Amino acid sequence: MVRVITITSGKGGVGKTTTTANLGTALALRGARVTVIDADIGLRNLDVVMGLENRIVYDLVDVVEGRARLRQALIKDKRLPDLYLLPAAQTRDKDSVGPEDMIALVNQMRTDFDYVLIDSPAGIEGGFRNSIAGADEILIVTTPEVSAVRDADRVVGLVEAAEKGPPRLIINRLKPQMVSRGEMLSMEEVVEILAISPIGVVPEDEAILTSTNRGESVVFNQQSRARQAFSNIARRLGGEEVPFMDLTEQTGVFNRLFGMFGKR
Amino acid sequence: MGFFDNLFRRERQTSAQIAKERLLTVLVHDRVKLTPEMMAQMKTELSEVIARYVPEAEPGEIEVTLLHGESSDYLKADIPLRRSKISH
Repeated sequence: MVRVITITSGKGGVGKTTTTANLGTALALRGARVTVIDADIGLRNLDVVMGLENRIVYDLVDVVEGRARLRQALIKDKRLPDLYLLPAAQTRDKDSVGPEDMIALVNQMRTDFDYVLIDSPAGIEGGFRNSIAGADEILIVTTPEVSAVRDADRVVGLVEAAEKGPPRLIINRLKPQMVSRGEMLSMEEVVEILAISPIGVVPEDEAILTSTNRGESVVFNQQSRARQAFSNIARRLGGEEVPFMDLTEQTGVFNRLFGMFGKR
Repeated sequence: MGFFDNLFRRERQTSAQIAKERLLTVLVHDRVKLTPEMMAQMKTELSEVIARYVPEAEPGEIEVTLLHGESSDYLKADIPLRRSKISH
């Protein structure tokens, strides 16, 4: 039975697309059959993050409007045989698709996949509503910043109003050193403020950018701390009990002293 | 928190603590969805009701605020009373 999971955030730039790509890869690496859908119509991005931008023939709107069958539009990942991408249309606007189109689309995938991950556009308008219409579960991505947390709270309210069940939270780009200096909200504080249960915390990691530069998933970078975080989220989605990563940094007394004066 | 942190920061809030408090306050407002017009209307109606029971109340001075509390959020109304005419 497929699980359709929408990854959303409210605020832009918090890492929805990166999360969708890496979580999809982590799930496929664990043997699941996965499709990731780019629902950000007009601002296609999931394809470049996954390094599949040169393989696009048809897109989501082509499938919705009947110019292509789903099978023709799905792009197979370069490395994983059971990971597919359904790209967004780049030259159309977001009104080309409605909520019922999205429900019909994911219903076509119910038999052939274990997970369908939908990368939502930023905002709380039509594109967001389309992206959650066919979802069974919602994951909300935020960073530990006041603006992102505030917007995440709006989205929590909208998801609950849409009766999608309680959304779960991914705290992205956390900087452990800043948290230990008291200069960044901790995972526990963000969870307390938003009052929804967390499914993962992803540390800030330069490997995300270098992997994205190459069009590869960070999940293939063995040295990366973010890799471990995404693998953990994939396992938790599968129902495993995985403890949250210990992100407390052991900084020395001198580092703390310098940190206090902003000299780090 | 280490020794040095405690030494230097006892009085000062960290920016994370400030962020948390600001967020909790702004979210009370966001979640309740009271527009400024509704707030003004509510104050007017509250004044009318209170004036019926407590003539000493200062109708123009009612302050209504949304607050974040430990166990629950709350709507707080401050209604100052005139002192001069209170007799025992």
